[in-house]
Amino acid sequence: MQVISAHEFIQGVVSGLLLGGTYAVLAVGFSLMLGVTHVVNLSHPAFALVGAYITYWLLKLSGFNPIASLLVVIPILFILGVIMERTVIRETARRTKDLTSASLVLTFGIAIILENLLLYICKADPRLVTTSYTGKSLFVGDIALPMTQLMSFGVAAVTVGAIYFFLQHTFLGKAARSVWQDREGAILSGINVSQIMALTFGISLASAGVGGMCMSLMYAIEPATHYSWITVVFAVVILGGVGSMLGTAIAGLILGLVIGISSVMMPLTWINLVLFSIIILLLLMKPTGLFQR
Amino acid sequence: MGNKKHTLFILGPVIGGLALLPALRPDVYYLSALFTLFMYAALACGWNIFGGYTGYMNFGHAAFFGIGAYTSAFLLVRYGLSPFYTAIIGGILAAILAAIISWPCLRLRGPYFVLVTLCLGLAVRVVVINLEFTGSSQGLWLRLLPVSIFVNRVIFYETMLGILLVTILIAMWIERSKFGLGLRSIRQDEDSAETQGVNATQLKIAAFIISAFLAGIVGSIYAYYRTYIHPDFIFDISISVLVVLMSLLGGCNTWVGPVIGAGILVFINEFLTAYTGIGAEISRIIYGLLLVVVIMYLPNGLIGLFKKRA
Repeated sequence: MQVISAHEFIQGVVSGLLLGGTYAVLAVGFSLMLGVTHVVNLSHPAFALVGAYITYWLLKLSGFNPIASLLVVIPILFILGVIMERTVIRETARRTKDLTSASLVLTFGIAIILENLLLYICKADPRLVTTSYTGKSLFVGDIALPMTQLMSFGVAAVTVGAIYFFLQHTFLGKAARSVWQDREGAILSGINVSQIMALTFGISLASAGVGGMCMSLMYAIEPATHYSWITVVFAVVILGGVGSMLGTAIAGLILGLVIGISSVMMPLTWINLVLFSIIILLLLMKPTGLFQR
Repeated sequence: MGNKKHTLFILGPVIGGLALLPALRPDVYYLSALFTLFMYAALACGWNIFGGYTGYMNFGHAAFFGIGAYTSAFLLVRYGLSPFYTAIIGGILAAILAAIISWPCLRLRGPYFVLVTLCLGLAVRVVVINLEFTGSSQGLWLRLLPVSIFVNRVIFYETMLGILLVTILIAMWIERSKFGLGLRSIRQDEDSAETQGVNATQLKIAAFIISAFLAGIVGSIYAYYRTYIHPDFIFDISISVLVVLMSLLGGCNTWVGPVIGAGILVFINEFLTAYTGIGAEISRIIYGLLLVVVIMYLPNGLIGLFKKRA
């Protein structure tokens, strides 16, 4: 821990908030899936990593702009999500009453498979997505706004906004929310729950892919990276509470703020510990999350 | 495993035979492989005392294992105390960590508990890597026992077999006691159990501490066996995962399940890496697939298959 100047503090706050947007998009799908389908998807960050690797290889092999690569990442992960629901999740749900507990182990298995597939295909080397604007910054006064952070914040804000709009203002979104609130009631109202489940998985993993792309703009990725992302996702979901898009967004920003400030005060490796302490403290104070209704 | 006598009739000769195995002077490789098997069986059986009976999936077992490993290694390197004695201290420290953690964590249920234990495992590793006296990211070297390699392996083989036996006896005792009954009632329905007068919190904390204590002891001996420890493989998340997988594969309701699960997985692992020569990645992919298949098709583990037929 070291004493920091006011300038460093403000810099920490600004880049923390920008980072927080990415945290929010990384966690929003996890929260949505847990709410609607009662599946705790421990492979969520691993799917985000798949998105990050697709971004990396598209850039490396054919010079795709990371933002443009979303056109590839989103459909692939959406389809993966639908396939996952239609095969393993459906099969498991048929056999067990307690899908939440079963899904923990199930999705952990999927995370291990994904991690080691990535390890097998891409090797363990850390990869960095380096674009033409990596390392460049906009300056407001003497506060630096790194381009990569601005870009990922923008993408994250649009994605979270789009999911929010989808849930609030479209028929399918409203249907998903009704399943979330009362599954039996939704079935009785003629909502096709199985369709909503598949759709939720698709959207959730697609948003994970976007989150992965945003993270890859700022940090080096390797196949084991998803373990550090998982802590971020948990922290955001526990802070925001399952069941609130707005809560998730705000929780992402708060968490980014905490990380931003603590990263100018201590080495980066301690961040996981900070996150863990936050999670423990939160659970002690309010196990259902700060924004739970 | 309803009948105590039957179980002991099978268990006694098996353990006795295994204990006498070194007299046949087998290859060192087999002693090492069996050591690994006993270690995982003891870990899984210890995990099951809390994670299996109560249904609270602890995904951070490697934290307790690692605390034990680091405690005994540190005491050996710094003060020259043999891990065979200090293993108890390793176990106690792991139990203390469990006691501290249990206070906030055991109020949580289902997914939240899993998330927190998972994060715990990751966090402890970060702490150890960043602390000076644990050798940080360079790890710690432990001196070898001053005996031939064969005698060395025999000593560790017998020690780990002993630990496994103790773990099994503790698990058997718990299964037959009122304590175990309470734990399993928590698994079935915690709220109903509490209304029937089961002090769920107290039982959970006790089981969690026992489970962590056993893991700490196993870790202490493992550190001495490896002679070199590093946070990357001592606090490896795959240890936590393997232990859970072994219990689920075998079946969580009795001590037999984790032991059988450990036997199968260690055997598969030895087979895959030593004979077929495929990489660690592929064998972990197979582990992942097993995890998925077990959950999808064998919710009660392998033991469940036999129970159904009987």
